[in-house]
Amino acid sequence: MARRRKESKGEKLETNMSAMIDIVFQLLIFFMLTLKIVEPEGDFNINMPAQGQPTSSDEIPPFPDIKVKLKANPDGTLSGLFFGSRNLGVGPGAFEQLNIEILKVIGRPGDPITKDMAVEIDADYNLHFSNVINAVGACTGRVDKRSGNIVKYIEKIKFKPPTSPTAAG
Amino acid sequence: MAKRPPNDAPEAEVDMTPMIDIVFQLIAFFMVITNFEQTQADERVKLPRDALAKPPEVKVEHSLVLNVGFYRDMQGEKTDAQPWLFNFVDGEPVLPLSAGAQLKKEAVLFKNKEIQLEDVTVKVRADSEVQTGIVQELIKLCQDAGFETFAMSAMSGPEE
Repeated sequence: MARRRKESKGEKLETNMSAMIDIVFQLLIFFMLTLKIVEPEGDFNINMPAQGQPTSSDEIPPFPDIKVKLKANPDGTLSGLFFGSRNLGVGPGAFEQLNIEILKVIGRPGDPITKDMAVEIDADYNLHFSNVINAVGACTGRVDKRSGNIVKYIEKIKFKPPTSPTAAG
Repeated sequence: MAKRPPNDAPEAEVDMTPMIDIVFQLIAFFMVITNFEQTQADERVKLPRDALAKPPEVKVEHSLVLNVGFYRDMQGEKTDAQPWLFNFVDGEPVLPLSAGAQLKKEAVLFKNKEIQLEDVTVKVRADSEVQTGIVQELIKLCQDAGFETFAMSAMSGPEE
């Protein structure tokens, strides 16, 4: 090859790149403008059986539902998180405490008996929805700090039918 | 084009190769990260955030997305206390509790496509400040229309 280059005195063949560069820049601008950065979203599956469904005596669950009550202030913020009849307070600490209480109930995460357990969330009508999501998250499991994986607690989440604000007073 | 005078100076050549390399890299990058999937998510909905809300590993095949949110200004403050169901009927917002008839129509549409309603997941994308009772009543309307499976959306990541 080197020898050939030395010998040849013909004209250098030049490719016209401008057309390709035009198209490539067009594509680049198109992809840059259509790019939409979306934050990742996750889903919580919930079990909300329709009211008035016939329940046979054979379908009695082996464990009673774990009751979690969320009470709201008139402005919709959380005024109290109750695990059974115990008040766990408000704020992120309350949800952490709920997570600990759920762990105490199930004993060991991943135990097959947790499939038969269910949490019933009873939230006030005017409560901000974010509190419900946090409660569902606290009951569903926790994120393992070392591995970053999710340790599942109870996956069956039920909701108590809403009480209309007029009926609740 | 004016005629150039004869010039003996060597012609300056720009080596385009590195630029083309970089530009192709950029195109490849943008092509890979661009998501052309038509999502039914509405940007007005400010989803709650929870550490456990991880994106699903298996994509749901049939879903009906319900965006419940508020009209917000540029600062993200609510301009109307009334929550609306966005992107539902012809792009027009409707009141969540008056969506029953449309939900029944959606159920019929799924049935017409020979999709069982039990295979359809109703994805509730509710704003963090929406009243829980409204979300529950909306789910009740879905149940009345025949939908059975529900999922509630949240942003992934630690709570703010």
